[in-house]
Amino acid sequence: MLRWRIPLLFGLLLILSGCGAASRPELCSTEFFAMDTVMSVRAYTTDDAVLSELPALVGALENELSVTKEGSAVYTLNHNGHAAMTDDAALLLSRALALCGETGGALDISVYPVVRAWGFTSADGSYRVPDADELAALLQTVDHTRVVCEDGTAYLPEGMEIDLGAVAKGYAGDKVAAYLRERGVTSALLDLGGNIQTVGTKPDGADWRVAVQDPNGDRLLGVLAVSDQAVITSGGYERYFTDEEGTLWWHIMDPRSGYPAQNGLISVTVVGDEGLYCDALSTALFVMGTGDAVAFWRTHRDFDMLLVTEDGKLLLTSALAERFSPSEELPYALEVIDDA
Amino acid sequence: MLKTRTWIVLICAAALVSGIFSIRLLTGRRDRTIVEVVQDGAVIREIDLSHVSGSYSFTVTGSDGGENTILVEPGRVCVTAADCPDQVCVRQGWLSNQTTPVICLPHRLILRVQGVSDGVDGVSK
Repeated sequence: MLRWRIPLLFGLLLILSGCGAASRPELCSTEFFAMDTVMSVRAYTTDDAVLSELPALVGALENELSVTKEGSAVYTLNHNGHAAMTDDAALLLSRALALCGETGGALDISVYPVVRAWGFTSADGSYRVPDADELAALLQTVDHTRVVCEDGTAYLPEGMEIDLGAVAKGYAGDKVAAYLRERGVTSALLDLGGNIQTVGTKPDGADWRVAVQDPNGDRLLGVLAVSDQAVITSGGYERYFTDEEGTLWWHIMDPRSGYPAQNGLISVTVVGDEGLYCDALSTALFVMGTGDAVAFWRTHRDFDMLLVTEDGKLLLTSALAERFSPSEELPYALEVIDDA
Repeated sequence: MLKTRTWIVLICAAALVSGIFSIRLLTGRRDRTIVEVVQDGAVIREIDLSHVSGSYSFTVTGSDGGENTILVEPGRVCVTAADCPDQVCVRQGWLSNQTTPVICLPHRLILRVQGVSDGVDGVSK
């Protein structure tokens, strides 16, 4: 009997060598469409069923937070002026409002009617430049301080509408990352439509290598070494149109002027522990412009950033500079932001 | 005795098959550029760009009935027509690198280069 067991054992070993033992975490991946973008998740896990829950998890969030889906908490709030918030919607709205305040209104979730007037909310690409009177009228309803969220119910003044789009993907990333950690995953990379969030390190203990898109083309600015952090970029290149006079307008609105933010920055990447915070800041710092963004970083220092300026500079916080490998022949002048 | 031999033959055959597959997986795709056409999360077609000699195009129809026409030329691929309102995938032009896939959101279609690009795990954009 023993005589055939040995070749059997060798045979089994040979067969198994092709796909690795099941007791060790293996790379599993999933890809799905949600929140008007493509989301892909790669995780090292022994249980590939973990990923199958993700589309439903993000889909449920989208159904609560979407500004266009009838029946969502945000949709109901915009249309009725008040709405019962789900737990996630209430939490995200409160955090978003706090961040609107913290950034001095550079982030303002009530700028939605202005964004819509420019055509950036429509799927058919019908962009237009609203005239000054129209924008002035719309700006009357832009004021995050007048949004109230109390005891699970939110209220808006007449004419005001909000959109949590600037923070929803970051929040979704936090939820997905938390879910994966809960299920025992210690190594994963989430790409939620270009928002990168990492869980742990790579399986061999090395940092994840997250590249940053060059706002002026298909190239990469360079690669950041990160673990357990979010890397979230806002740039004018993501969505824009050119009007009849050849002026380029992008989708990131300055809530103070009602015009696309043109304050010297063309791309902002924020690196930090929380996706929601990084997502909000990437938009807010873009609106602030270089000077105010650097000032904001100096007074907070709970995140790192990489700024690309219109005049060809790439500015990095010092902690990030140590973790950044620039691409070769980079057409930007690299500068480390003074720590003082 | 006969039973043991049968086992040995079976195991050797299985080992041979798994060996062949391993070699194909490990070496077969290294120097090739394979573009995947992904619809609703499933790869519906793979195009080995290094084996394209002439140009051809084909049309894929999504679950919503939407259509995208894909043009394949030696070494490159793009979407030439789509019946979606925003035309983002058409305006994106040729699929030029491993990090930026061509995406048609309305029809849930993705054109991408197979595999992960050199030493990069993800691209923030």
